[in-house]
Amino acid sequence: MIGVQRCGSGPAVGYLHGPFGNPGIHPFLEALGGHVSVVAPSLPNFQGSEPRTLRSLHEWLVATSETLEAAGLVGVPLIAASTGAMLACELLAIRPDVTSRLVLLSPLGLWNDDDPVHDIWSERTPRQAAWWLRHPARAARFLEDPPGLGADGLMEREVSRYRCRTAAASLMWPLPDHGLAERIARVRVPVSVIWGAEDRLMGSSYRDRWAVSLPDHAGTTVIDDAGHLVEWDQPERTAAAAVDALSLVHG
Amino acid sequence: MKAISFHFMPYADLPADFTETSRSVWVDIDPKLYDPVKGHAMYRDYLDELELAAEVGFHGVAVNEHHANGYGLMPSPNLMASTLARTTRDAAIVVLGNSLALYNPPLRVAEEFAMLDVLSGGRLVAGFPVGTPMDTCYAYGVDPATLRDRYNEAHDLIMAAWTRDEPFTFNGHYTKLRQVNCWPRPLQQPHPPIWIPGGGSVETWQWCAEQQYVYCYLSYYGWKLGLTQMRGFWNHVKELGLDPNPYRSGFAQFIAVADSEQEALDLYREPAEYFYRRCLHVHGGYAEPPGYKTEATVRAGVASQVEMAAKGGPGETTKAKAGSKSALGDLTFEKMVDAGYILIGSPTQVAEKLHHVATQLNCGHMMLLGHFGNMSKELCSYNLRMFGEKVLPEVQGLFDDQWEDLWWPQHAVGGTRHVPAPDGARARR
Repeated sequence: MIGVQRCGSGPAVGYLHGPFGNPGIHPFLEALGGHVSVVAPSLPNFQGSEPRTLRSLHEWLVATSETLEAAGLVGVPLIAASTGAMLACELLAIRPDVTSRLVLLSPLGLWNDDDPVHDIWSERTPRQAAWWLRHPARAARFLEDPPGLGADGLMEREVSRYRCRTAAASLMWPLPDHGLAERIARVRVPVSVIWGAEDRLMGSSYRDRWAVSLPDHAGTTVIDDAGHLVEWDQPERTAAAAVDALSLVHG
Repeated sequence: MKAISFHFMPYADLPADFTETSRSVWVDIDPKLYDPVKGHAMYRDYLDELELAAEVGFHGVAVNEHHANGYGLMPSPNLMASTLARTTRDAAIVVLGNSLALYNPPLRVAEEFAMLDVLSGGRLVAGFPVGTPMDTCYAYGVDPATLRDRYNEAHDLIMAAWTRDEPFTFNGHYTKLRQVNCWPRPLQQPHPPIWIPGGGSVETWQWCAEQQYVYCYLSYYGWKLGLTQMRGFWNHVKELGLDPNPYRSGFAQFIAVADSEQEALDLYREPAEYFYRRCLHVHGGYAEPPGYKTEATVRAGVASQVEMAAKGGPGETTKAKAGSKSALGDLTFEKMVDAGYILIGSPTQVAEKLHHVATQLNCGHMMLLGHFGNMSKELCSYNLRMFGEKVLPEVQGLFDDQWEDLWWPQHAVGGTRHVPAPDGARARR
């Protein structure tokens, strides 16, 4: 069982989520839906999808492949964020038919000893949001509990959040580097990169490294006033930049 | 009741301003704070203290495993146990224990524990902790999402390695071995007693009860807080229809004995404050990596937080459990004593308190920390001697008129299943 969020109309575009998953139709999906028909599946352990023990990158890639197949996204242009961007690139390196056009939002997956990705999982939980986001309060209303939930509902929300965090941390543990640098040359489709100008998680050295590592780098767009999860901080501008990169403006 | 002398082997020379100048005693503690010359003296003193504990009548000596830790200087407790196996005669050697998921392949634990059991003449208690998040996930980099899966698989491999009588193939998710063949074999057959140190995971209570392993609750916050945890374990024992044999459990407790209560309060204040202020100065970000807790424990935690919210917010004990700076910064010595973190006083007082605690917890294996913080060897020796000579005789008979300790090493002192150690092992001492 996989959870899928859908919105908008026009040409289909897939969205492979990052560490927050897809808690409903969040502002980025809504903004994207103003241009295209968005299909946003949840990976195992994220909202709406079944819990599953994933022990290795290999098992994660099988799960990612199955998720995209189940959502009807094989061959469809794909926007992938953070941990999801890492998985999309890893999958493309071994399965070139997954997509013909890719947009990466603040992709994880490369490593620079001189500029390590921040160890966000060593931050106290309440402080982590400030490492993901430039504007934590904007995202909070979509991530926090809606009013009126009973004790059972609150508990299920808490467990669901814990599962998402566990899965996101698992992909990044102990380092968000599974060896993609050795395989990135196999990612041969055109790839655009969108980056938050105020990403605290990763330094700008990574932005430069992605640009030179991708065999068919189709450009990097920097979004001002945005942190690592650029699509949460600036949903409208990120959606517009992504659609522009895909050259799929509808209407 | 069994009295086991437990030692953390802390680094006893952390600077006075440690909590202001360092983020954490664990994981990212400044390596420059460690002086190996002083460390040499500490290891020597600490081993002397454990040997003294065995001499003055403790039934066992206990060591444990920590990594990158300023209050626990034993990345390999097996090295210490190996020394103690040679320098003690009858005491149980309690290794609490080896964090199974950290060994690759985990067969290494089966082999080293078998070595210790043979070396000690059958006095080993084999401890199988999951390990703290600081040790396993941060210092050793194990993904918290797979930690318990790895642990469970390692457990199955070790038990098979000890009990199967022919070489076999092990095909796990994390470990694949064409030939598993543990040499040497444990002296205790089919295997040494297995104790599981836990910190309150719901599944651990259930698993220990089902496997009939000893559940050891290791908290620094005394028996009053531990009572809730131990009740959780005993509830599972009851649900399974098992008898409430107190030797199914263990509990860690600080002790501080002197001639009088006032003398004890005067003598032990400084090392207690050193331990609770400097040694437990753990960065809160290392306490709960996502995935370390099981879902059942999250659900239990959610329930209790809802309850606490209804009562006006989380209590002080919750903050203390997280080892947060704010909670421990406010912790006074008087509070440590009042809350039962330390059983302190004259021999009569400590005997009464220990009797009460063991009875309340229904705990047969009391793991007693006679050394804590920066306690000197002289003071620790005094503490251990006072306990051995004046407290132990008052409490050691507890439970033994009703219950047999089925989880005690076959060749260690005090076991009702006691079998003399092999002649060869004795003759060489």
